[in-house]
Amino acid sequence: MPSQTVGPMNSRQRVLAALRREPVDRTPVCNPTSVATVELMDLVDAPFPDANRVPELMARLAATGHTELGFDSIMPVFSIIQESSALGCKIQWEQKDNWPTVKMREPIYQTADDIKIPADFLTHPDTRCVIEAIRILRQQFGNEVAIIGKTMGPWSLGYHCFGVEPFLLLSLDDPGKTKACLDRLKEATIQFGLAQIEAGADALTLPDHATGDLVSGEYYARYLRDLHIEFAQRLAVPIILHICGKTEDRMEFIAQTGMAAFHYDSKNDPVESMRIMRNRTALVGNINNPETLFSKGPEAVGQEVVKNLEAGVQLVGPECAIPLQTAIENLKAIPQTVQDWHREKASQN
Amino acid sequence: MAEITAIAHEFIRQEIEEFIERPEERERTINTFAKARPEMQAIAAALIEGENDTVDQLTRQALDAGIEALEVMDYGLIAGMGIVGIKFRQNFIFVPEVLACARAMKAGMAHIEPILSAAGVEPIGTVIMGTVKGDLHDIGKNLCIMMLRGAGFVVHDLGVDTSPDKFIEAVEETKAPLLGMSALLTTTMPNMGKTIEAFIDADLRDEVKIMVGGAPVTQDFADDMGADGYGKDALACVALAKNLLGVAVRS
Repeated sequence: MPSQTVGPMNSRQRVLAALRREPVDRTPVCNPTSVATVELMDLVDAPFPDANRVPELMARLAATGHTELGFDSIMPVFSIIQESSALGCKIQWEQKDNWPTVKMREPIYQTADDIKIPADFLTHPDTRCVIEAIRILRQQFGNEVAIIGKTMGPWSLGYHCFGVEPFLLLSLDDPGKTKACLDRLKEATIQFGLAQIEAGADALTLPDHATGDLVSGEYYARYLRDLHIEFAQRLAVPIILHICGKTEDRMEFIAQTGMAAFHYDSKNDPVESMRIMRNRTALVGNINNPETLFSKGPEAVGQEVVKNLEAGVQLVGPECAIPLQTAIENLKAIPQTVQDWHREKASQN
Repeated sequence: MAEITAIAHEFIRQEIEEFIERPEERERTINTFAKARPEMQAIAAALIEGENDTVDQLTRQALDAGIEALEVMDYGLIAGMGIVGIKFRQNFIFVPEVLACARAMKAGMAHIEPILSAAGVEPIGTVIMGTVKGDLHDIGKNLCIMMLRGAGFVVHDLGVDTSPDKFIEAVEETKAPLLGMSALLTTTMPNMGKTIEAFIDADLRDEVKIMVGGAPVTQDFADDMGADGYGKDALACVALAKNLLGVAVRS
């Protein structure tokens, strides 16, 4: 929460304090997922798909989130495919105007016994790229900006490695085998997370897409709550859980995990979400991507920012990886609105 | 309107009482099941429970007993899937449960389709479905396909990463009057508009109605692109398909 007793902070201090739900000089603007755009790629000559595969380009493009947009964090993982590629999934790399995607119609596993974390998991080019990019960014920005890494959770890896439908059917047909799969896949989550911490990540985003569009809140509690408690304990930096879609029905369970923060979607009301969290887990979000950041202008973006600030949301940012064609002026409106709002509040006191 | 007590199967009655809230849907469902024989109600109940082996067995038994394939499909499988769709829309069940129900539907249809095909029975409509170019996500599209098939449509699934040319080829080949496009990514949404433009360029736009959907897609976006309709979920997709083709529920 913003406090007049707190002196000026730099971006890193601000983000880390907010993730600990401690007082901050102003609400940090945070991107637990990608803010890369085609415009930014052109600006620093770091286009997709290479910016997903070459550490220097990945770091250069990620840095624009702070240097060009004015966010308090830098997050260099623009997609959700890096560790799945290292596990052996086939990837469609696409071009500058689209994200790379796992070819989930070509699953690599059928049973839990198939799951083996390869010996070269952390030296595979697509995991190593992230680790190296974090090293570069840490060196470049020192302790000024929060560097956020990303390690995918086992539920999301299950979609990638088994295919979405086979994995969801397995979860209904055989909960025991599903838990065995998750238990094996979690080692990939932990290994990749630890490697990024060692490289200098201040915090980690952990996407695990048990979204309300696909599964129930009870499913989250049954399959993921205990695993997420384990991640929060074993990964010794603040963890930001990311789940898209409507999630109010599982926020109570999420608040029990010990995760530092939950990156929440615009389908959830900020006030109601804050009420459920009861300051046990910070919230990050939840500016709408397709309808606001992508389709409207800075004024509409500002209105959503204020809605989050008024609700007391601890870190403000887009709800998910932003559309690649999003206008830079819309993204700049987020930190600008945050600063204006705090200035206005300060002048009222 | 029939009374719910006219439905013999206790599970079906409970499902209606517990999960169907909208009066018009409740009335339609009760009327359908009140006309359904107990054997059909049992098939529907097994489908709603996602029991594919039981649906397989009961469908075979019903056909062996001389019940018409069309009746088994309409009053057993489609009627059951109707309740599944409503429960899904209302968040009483989620995707894993729907997948299990669709698997059960498929088990029943495996017996019925060859009979209907041999008899030359026309489906209520034919639809082409695909995820647009550059997008490999298909769970939303597949849910729509399950619900469309569950409502009696024949669906040609073009899969993912479907180019405008592939959509055009499929329409030319099948003469399907309806096309559905899906996108999960904001980066691939514009490919819906490009596909519609390709149909205009190929002078085929008047031959086919086009509906769109997907997590980031909105009614405004659909209108801007020149689509004929937008469905926000799988059940809305079925209603839209019926509306665009001007078909009524056969039963």
